[in-house]
Amino acid sequence: MEREPLSCSVHCHEPCRGQTGWRMSAVLEVSGLSKVYGDVTALDRVFLSVEEGALFGLLGPNGSGKTTMIKVLTGQIRPTSGSARVLGLDSAHEGLRIRERVGIIPEQESPPSFLTSMEYLEFVGKVRKIPDIRERADEWFDYLEFGDKKNVLCKDLSRGTRQKLMFAQAFIHEPALALIDEPLINFDPIMQDLVKEYLTDYVKSGKTIFLSTHILEVAEEICSSFAILHRGTLLHSGPVAELTEKGAHLPEFFLSLVRKGTHA
Amino acid sequence: MPELFMRMMKEEWRMHSTIFGQVSFALFPVMIFGISFMGSFLLPHLRAALPVGDLALAVHAMFLVLGAMVGGFGLMGNEMMNRRFGQVSLLAYSARSLPLSGRFIFANFVVKDTVYYFFLWVLPFGAGYLAAAPFTGASFPSALLLLFTLALAFMAGLCTVFLLSSLYVRSRVACGVLVIVGGLLLIASFLSTGPALVLLFPPYLIYSGFSWGILLSSCAILAVLFALSILLFCAEETGTTSVHGDLLTPLESRFAWLPQSPLVAKDLIDLYRSGIGIGQALFSFAIPLVVIWFFLSLAGSFLPSHGVIVFFAMITGVIASTMYTWVTEFDSFGPYACLPVSVSTLIQSKMTTCVLLQVLPAAFIVSVAVLSGNSEILIPALALCISFSFYASGVMAYLCGLSPSVLVYDVKVLSTYLVLDGVVFALFSAVALANPLFAISSVLLFFPGWWFVKAAMRRWDAVDPGGY
Repeated sequence: MEREPLSCSVHCHEPCRGQTGWRMSAVLEVSGLSKVYGDVTALDRVFLSVEEGALFGLLGPNGSGKTTMIKVLTGQIRPTSGSARVLGLDSAHEGLRIRERVGIIPEQESPPSFLTSMEYLEFVGKVRKIPDIRERADEWFDYLEFGDKKNVLCKDLSRGTRQKLMFAQAFIHEPALALIDEPLINFDPIMQDLVKEYLTDYVKSGKTIFLSTHILEVAEEICSSFAILHRGTLLHSGPVAELTEKGAHLPEFFLSLVRKGTHA
Repeated sequence: MPELFMRMMKEEWRMHSTIFGQVSFALFPVMIFGISFMGSFLLPHLRAALPVGDLALAVHAMFLVLGAMVGGFGLMGNEMMNRRFGQVSLLAYSARSLPLSGRFIFANFVVKDTVYYFFLWVLPFGAGYLAAAPFTGASFPSALLLLFTLALAFMAGLCTVFLLSSLYVRSRVACGVLVIVGGLLLIASFLSTGPALVLLFPPYLIYSGFSWGILLSSCAILAVLFALSILLFCAEETGTTSVHGDLLTPLESRFAWLPQSPLVAKDLIDLYRSGIGIGQALFSFAIPLVVIWFFLSLAGSFLPSHGVIVFFAMITGVIASTMYTWVTEFDSFGPYACLPVSVSTLIQSKMTTCVLLQVLPAAFIVSVAVLSGNSEILIPALALCISFSFYASGVMAYLCGLSPSVLVYDVKVLSTYLVLDGVVFALFSAVALANPLFAISSVLLFFPGWWFVKAAMRRWDAVDPGGY
């Protein structure tokens, strides 16, 4: 099945407000989304659409609103205005149903301190009602090479191992869409390579990944499309191929756009 | 030392004022002052029924327990804050990044806790009593002395917990032996001499009959407790890994008939493995209740024959309701945010776990009723205890959601909690004292309790979960 590129095909040097460009196969649609915390605007009228089968990268500097975006999309927090539909469900009112159907890796890895790794995956399986959870858990322990940590309490795991565990819990039910926040940040280069391979294979099977990161090289390497968020405003969205076809590179493009946005 | 101490004080203030808002938190000592000031006007009426000495003993016991609870909270603070607010870093845990020894930082931490909570709890309470002294007939020197001896009682609780924690890190066996031997000695003394043993508590002794000798020995005991806790202190071992067999599946299967059984099983595992279950059962449940039982035993001659057990059942119920804080203390919404679990589901599961834990107060009431020869009112006492616990837990869930141990310092929340519990407490005190069999009517509290739980689920689902 051939994937269509993202809706935005223009390299906007101004915020892409007003773009909608919905496609019938969009798994994720954000329309005029804003989120305000007190006097801080974390997201400011963002429009975005992600096609089924995309490996979409949401890029932005620290504090740009990436994590807030994932929290809104998964119904963990409500938008101040605007709307977001994920897999056809309204994130403001159907957050629980969205979380049933998607996989999430939160910004900070937070498996419960006093469960062992195996117990945590079993716990996830029981909450998600996965019948063969032990077999699936064993497969993940093998795949991410941390079977020796099965019976270790989560509080005693290294950051990298916790990240493996959070990665496994996000994909253990093979969701149609996974929203993952900085999934590579605590991995060594070998594990990063393995995970990147997994993600690219995952989208080839028709599923979608929404990846939030500020590691631009990774985004350029594995993402099919991307958007740049800065201070809550969407500066650009479009396919990665459009950049590379013009001989441009994502890191330079990102830096010039963000610097321009900062000085605007 | 002064710089680290001052920065720790600032850190504690900022932590509290960030959580509750500066004004709300600043009003907390004002509220304690108000409660103490107004409560002092009840003393002339209470004196008619209870000797002054018993009242003074109760207040000293309360501050001893408060010191122990503050100490326990301080030691668990970093873990709790991490669970609730993500990665936080407190100065008390900065030995690895600062060129200061762990023992030096711990000494500052102990002094900081003593001073900070003296100003937060002890001083406002004493000042309230002092301010009311001209109106209540209490002598000014006696009020000043009370402020001083309450501070000693508070410090005794604080230093004891710090010493036990230092010992616990060095040798769990030694700590366990000390607690068991101490407990057995107390019970043996109680059985041989009765509750009069409690009257030997040094701060109370100073208050009831001041002497320089007792004052100096009290201070010496505190100094020894403090010095020992610092000397025995060693940073908790890091880099060790705890390996455990699978508990989740068997527990979940055992409680499969309950709603949210995986969440309940996880709560029980948390309580068991974190040590919170044992720690809280000891410091927040058994010890306060033993102290209260001692006090109520002294008041026995001023109450109807069944009065002591009736009051004790109600107090046990209120204390048992704090089990809701046990199961929420180290748990924020964070670990569940990536799962199809809502805040209301979590509140429901925490309440379910609390209902399971009611085995503990029920067993306690049965033991006390049988041992005190009140078996004939066991059923009404049990009904009072469990109904009160459920009602008060429901109120707590409604007012605080998943953050009861945090919101307790919010003046508005605490005031509402005290009023909602106080009214019911007063009503059923009257009913049960009139006839202990009437206490069975307390099962009616399940209805408002249930309403509060349902209202809590609706209320806290409607707001964005914070703290993760």
